[in-house]
Amino acid sequence: MKKPQNVCNENTFNRLYEAHSKPVWRFIYFKCGDTAQADDLVQEAFIKLWQNCAKITQEKAKSFLYTVCNNAFLNEVAHHKVVLKHAKRQPEKTNFHSPEFLMEESQFHEKLKTSLENLSEAQRTAFLLNRIEGKKYAEIAEMLNISVKAVEKRMSQALATLRKEIGNI
Amino acid sequence: MNTQKMEKDYLLHKWLNNEATPEELEQLKTDPEYASYIQISNATSAFELPQMDSEPNFKAISNKIKPVHQLHKPNIFSVVWKVAAIFAVLLAGYYYTTTLDTSVKTDIAQTETFSLPDTSEVILNAGSKITYNKKNWAKSRELSLDGEAYFKVTKGNKFSVKTVEGTVSVLGTQFNVFVRDGFFAVACYEGLVSVTYNDTILKVPAGSKIQIENGKLMMNETAEDPSPDWLAAESSFENAPLSIVVKEIERQYPVKVTLENVDFEKRFTGSFTHKKLDLALKAICEPLQLQYKIDKNGAVHIDAKNSK
Repeated sequence: MKKPQNVCNENTFNRLYEAHSKPVWRFIYFKCGDTAQADDLVQEAFIKLWQNCAKITQEKAKSFLYTVCNNAFLNEVAHHKVVLKHAKRQPEKTNFHSPEFLMEESQFHEKLKTSLENLSEAQRTAFLLNRIEGKKYAEIAEMLNISVKAVEKRMSQALATLRKEIGNI
Repeated sequence: MNTQKMEKDYLLHKWLNNEATPEELEQLKTDPEYASYIQISNATSAFELPQMDSEPNFKAISNKIKPVHQLHKPNIFSVVWKVAAIFAVLLAGYYYTTTLDTSVKTDIAQTETFSLPDTSEVILNAGSKITYNKKNWAKSRELSLDGEAYFKVTKGNKFSVKTVEGTVSVLGTQFNVFVRDGFFAVACYEGLVSVTYNDTILKVPAGSKIQIENGKLMMNETAEDPSPDWLAAESSFENAPLSIVVKEIERQYPVKVTLENVDFEKRFTGSFTHKKLDLALKAICEPLQLQYKIDKNGAVHIDAKNSK
């Protein structure tokens, strides 16, 4: 009796936008580091979703969006550096530290930031999806359409590169 | 050594996946390399991202999908309909162009001689119109007439002239048909013509002429001429109402005729030329005790002779 619902319904579409637009946007942002480009790709992905709505069930919508973004991103020529905003979380802890420590910490953050920006797109996307979005490897593997083993590898490589760039701490 | 590293890597990934126990984390931290990995990972988690502006993006999407949405709805059927529509248009166009009636029309003071597909000859008098179908001509020789025309029909199957007043049908002959304003006259010059009007069938033999006014037979007599007068640039009438005669004047000459104090039903018998207006007017007015005047605009006024 229960037929898989497709996406050709404005309410369904709006709901999918509510649920997925922001994660998808951040996903693209990890890749390209350009807010305007992320806006464009998100719009493109949702437009494609609507154009193909008859063929896509609600369950498939999410993976469709990520796949479209992945492909669209591969087609983009210009890859930008990712620019991250500095951390504003966890301030309480640092309040107790000495000024020297605070200095060191801010230097460390600055270094980490540039290092992250310099990571390869593949490593950075996987690493930031895990660290900032809190995604598990299996989820990342699904989003990027790669194996869990490959995610593990990218994570290890990302950590090793970052450690090398920042230097021993 | 290697197995130990693999063990630690396993734990690291377990921790990154948020599945490690606190003990396992402590165990990892004992290795300075892994301790720094953990520090880097924790610090990275503290970074924030620019935020997507949800509203304007959604507006942009809505703007782009609205027209797409409308195009999308008819899907397969639209293709079928498009193809069907193209065929329908082509077919209609073919049908229209091949079955389109041919019209021959004459203006004021103009006659037209032309042949029908079966070589029958038609001479169309001024201000008249004939419509017929070229394609169907072989099947049925049928045309419609409004005005006056002379026919020389090639022998063959039935040849019909349809008018609002009635139908004239023949087999092969020469005849003239006049149909204007309720005045219907048929003259036969050769062979035999059959005239149908108001459920009445009338045979008109060669040398005869009939006149029907408002569906009533007014005259049936012999005509001596071998062909209608108008072929010789003359209009002739036999006991015809003045209004019909005046209209004929207006057809043969580019003038406007106004009647003042004159009875439209006055009967006229005679003929007038198509070549000289003055002469023509005289020919009409003299026998009817009328006088005419041509003003400087070229308009003709006719009134009773003794009204002034």
